[in-house]
Amino acid sequence: MGVTMNFEQVSGYKYRIPRTGKMRTDAVFYASEEILKDLAAENYASLRQICNVATLTGIVEPALTMPDIHWGYGFPIGGVAAFDPDEGGVVSPGGVGFDINCGVRLLTAPLGREDIARRSKELADALYGAVPSGVGSVRKDVRFGRKDLRQIMERGPEWLVGRGYGREEDLEYIESRGRLPDADPDHVSDRAYERGLKQLGTLGSGNHFLEVQYVDEIYDEEAAGAYGLSEGQVTVLIHTGSRGLGHQVCQEYVELFLEAAPEYGIELVDRQLAAAPIESPEGRAYLGAMSAAANFAFANRQLITHFTREAFESAGLGDGLRVLYDLAHNNAKFEEHGGRKVLVHRKGATRAFGPGNPEVPARYRSAGQPVLVPGDMGRYSFVLAGTEGSMRETFGSSAHGAGRKLSRKKAKKAAKGRNIIREMERLGILVRAASRATVDEEMSEAYKDAAGVVEATHAAGIGRKVARLRPLIVVKG
Amino acid sequence: MLDHTADVGFELEAPTLEALFDAAREGLLEILMQRPPRSGSEERVVELSARDLEALMVRWINELVYLVQTAGFVPARADITVSGQGGKRSLRARLAGEPLDPEAHGWLGEVKSATFHGLCVEAGDGGWRARVILDV
Repeated sequence: MGVTMNFEQVSGYKYRIPRTGKMRTDAVFYASEEILKDLAAENYASLRQICNVATLTGIVEPALTMPDIHWGYGFPIGGVAAFDPDEGGVVSPGGVGFDINCGVRLLTAPLGREDIARRSKELADALYGAVPSGVGSVRKDVRFGRKDLRQIMERGPEWLVGRGYGREEDLEYIESRGRLPDADPDHVSDRAYERGLKQLGTLGSGNHFLEVQYVDEIYDEEAAGAYGLSEGQVTVLIHTGSRGLGHQVCQEYVELFLEAAPEYGIELVDRQLAAAPIESPEGRAYLGAMSAAANFAFANRQLITHFTREAFESAGLGDGLRVLYDLAHNNAKFEEHGGRKVLVHRKGATRAFGPGNPEVPARYRSAGQPVLVPGDMGRYSFVLAGTEGSMRETFGSSAHGAGRKLSRKKAKKAAKGRNIIREMERLGILVRAASRATVDEEMSEAYKDAAGVVEATHAAGIGRKVARLRPLIVVKG
Repeated sequence: MLDHTADVGFELEAPTLEALFDAAREGLLEILMQRPPRSGSEERVVELSARDLEALMVRWINELVYLVQTAGFVPARADITVSGQGGKRSLRARLAGEPLDPEAHGWLGEVKSATFHGLCVEAGDGGWRARVILDV
């Protein structure tokens, strides 16, 4: 028998779960009919998770989920929650996730699809050779020391650009210029340093990827123009995060916060929601370590951008790749909303600042911040723009991806006896991967259609469709 | 093996606590690789402690993730002792294994961490049970 959940429809795609029990605020979620069916099919497990988030101290009305909501451990994926430091608001490592500043960076090339077609095999091999993607895989010619890593955690991509790994103008198009000011490497453990040193400039496995794509459709000419996107143009999408350094930071602070929470009178309905007051020594230490890991992740995508430029050049395609935008979708940041400073947790959600916001690069300011929504490797990804609606309703947040439809085991079963790499090749998509098992698990049909998420986001007014990107080359771990 | 859309995990049963922790090692290796080694000549000793058995289980799995994915060492066998009570539980493991060889071991993909969500380690009918969810 199905489990019921008490919610009401506020408008077409917006629903409200009224505050009940230990909840301190209402919860709001965005869904289409289709998404609503998926939520019912999982007995509203992810909606129950956002209700759990709403029980945390100092939460600012309301707790939110984006249209790509799905079940996570503790916080749901697609969850957005803001906390007021002046009202005992908390910070929760589980509300950021293990992969701190997992995010995406989109590059544009001054090339058309036909320019790539002639050299796609060369380019695929060059990218696979240049960007380390399997477990333990590193570039032996690009090494950093412990002092370098400290600088990287403090200053992010800016430090790398100063060493020749990128261009000054890249920085302008990274969320917060890739440098969170609260970063404090002194709160990062030796173990996390060790893991970071071995993994800077690596893609990782699972759902992380590098794709060469082309712009397949433009929905908003004006915004696309501002972003420098045109039909048929080649783009590169990089999806990765802070690797083992971020995982280690999260692990250590979840444990610390589990011990600290009762001392601050914080009641936890789920241990993975372990939290401490923002204004406490533990809270400040985590924010310092988390911001350092976030800067590392921005730097990771910066170094991979440098490797990507090398690969394009070696395949005879020039080095004209420009950073369109780089954003985090696992993060916690201080921002001003409704006239007060709050700490916004986004776990599997994208910052989506609207038109006119000074945080949006000048060139894009009239259009709003680019919002990058990766789909699956067989279909498409999307570029959206932040809206006034996202500023008004979701603490300036929007969707971040498609979400899985099949478990990894079910995907493997569905791939049995098939050659997914060859199937993709028949669709005109070249795949280079360290592990065939990863490709099977990540096959297109293992994911929900990202278009469903994007349509709901657009219709709800918390993001505006700008362009669709189709894959040509996929590099996986 | 638990089979959830977004994450993976395992449910374990063993006659002793030591066997339960060893089963977690085996479960983790099954998630990481298709052909985990059964023996190895390299040795390592791991010593961990935590305030309860559940936190100790999370630490144990995360230590193994670190050993495999960062140190490149696959613990093929473990000789485990669990000690302590109440507010402090400790684990000592003598590990035998070999260097990670992604190709030979049939590497499947990285694990980010063990989580505290839905975690349980408890005594059952004549033995021990555990449930662990991993972020992959």
